[in-house]
Amino acid sequence: MKLIVFCLFTIYCCSLVKASYPMERKKLQEVLRELKMLKQLMMNTPPKDIEDCCCLTALTCFRETLLQHFGISGKYQKKLYKSLNHTLTVSTFGLNFCNTETSTTNCSTCHSHPKEKASEFFNRLESLVQRGLSRIN
Amino acid sequence: MMPTRLLLLLCLIGPVFAIEAPDVDCLIINLKNVSCTWNKKGTPKVNYTFYSSFFNKKEKSCPQYLTENNMNIGCIQPCESGDRFMTFNTRLVHGKDRFKETHGLKNRVKLNPPTNLTVLNGSDFNLWFYWNHTSPAHLHCVESEVRFRTNNNNWEFSKVSPEIQKYCINSPSGSSRYELQVRNRIVEGCGLSDFWSDWSEPVFWGSNSSIDSDSVPLWMTLLYVVGAITLILLVVMLLQRERLKIILIPAVPKPSPILHDIEDWFQLSKGLKENFKASYNEQVCPVREYNYVSQSDSMNSDDSTSSVSTNQTHCSVSIDVNDPEDLYVPLSSSSSQVPSEEVLQVSD
Repeated sequence: MKLIVFCLFTIYCCSLVKASYPMERKKLQEVLRELKMLKQLMMNTPPKDIEDCCCLTALTCFRETLLQHFGISGKYQKKLYKSLNHTLTVSTFGLNFCNTETSTTNCSTCHSHPKEKASEFFNRLESLVQRGLSRIN
Repeated sequence: MMPTRLLLLLCLIGPVFAIEAPDVDCLIINLKNVSCTWNKKGTPKVNYTFYSSFFNKKEKSCPQYLTENNMNIGCIQPCESGDRFMTFNTRLVHGKDRFKETHGLKNRVKLNPPTNLTVLNGSDFNLWFYWNHTSPAHLHCVESEVRFRTNNNNWEFSKVSPEIQKYCINSPSGSSRYELQVRNRIVEGCGLSDFWSDWSEPVFWGSNSSIDSDSVPLWMTLLYVVGAITLILLVVMLLQRERLKIILIPAVPKPSPILHDIEDWFQLSKGLKENFKASYNEQVCPVREYNYVSQSDSMNSDDSTSSVSTNQTHCSVSIDVNDPEDLYVPLSSSSSQVPSEEVLQVSD
């Protein structure tokens, strides 16, 4: 009787050991798929070349696209959104490069911009901010 | 049939004789000029005409060509500091051949090396180096890197934060020679440059007086010479003068396993040794205890017993007493008679 119980217990333990590997492997593969989806996430992205008087319009597009796709639930998403909306950011000495009274109606709307990958979206946002910093005294 | 075959032959051979598309490589120099070259694969075989434009600006032909063996290999033209954030379009034309390319020049920037590098000995006894940069970039967009060495040893590198155009070497050595150079680039916040500038012209401070620093002062040299002469004289004197040698370096007695007379260990003269030998004998002197006896007791005792005799051979010891009439005489083994009014009883 004791021998039978012992054998059943051994078989049960072996089955557990063998079963744990497929579960973990599946989970990791699931993570890879979700990551791939996120990398291929396409978002309306302003162009590389933005005219001086269309920079504020582009900034608005960046901000709203971030809100749409990432929300502001996270700590850094919320902080970034607030910073992009700050009065200092949108001021003349910030990202408002328009020195003339040229109308901004010629600037493209956000939905008209072609969709790009998330990496390209963030690269172009970074370039816009760097452009603003290089102009400030 | 013949024209068809000829056409087919031309289509196959044509690409072999086609001109390879030149690869245009552009770089922004000091945020003031754009320099483009197309000789990466070798000197071109034809002279191209170069046209370029930044986004939303009018296309221009090249104002100044770079040549090699009378062939155009590049073009340099002015630009504005903010143009690097825009797409740069280039076009090479030769006859019917047109090669178009687009470039992103935000990071392809190389600044000129810093200028006016000067050195000052500060009031805090530190060495201060100052420099300027000639690009239109704002100070907060430019970071520097310093390298210096002492007496032509290995270089030491140090980064300098943006907006700072000075460097300090603490407590420099007066006997060392310092050499310092600076270079700079655009910081990440303003679009990081892919290239550092060239090193600036070096600046020097101090003198390479390593010989002076190792030299011994004159008084120490004289001291060494005098000391050496004294030592030599002492050695000579020790070798020549045996007496001096014995005084300064006395001989150490060698212990021998064979026991000798201890008197031989001392180097004494013969007369002194003779005097140490004993020439008389001393008899042993017995010591006796004397008891005091009063006069009344002596009167009651027998006269025969009261007489005492002393042996002259025996030693006697006189002891001071309070009564001068008291006499102390040993009773036993005495041969001489000593008159006394009081007799002491002696116990052996």
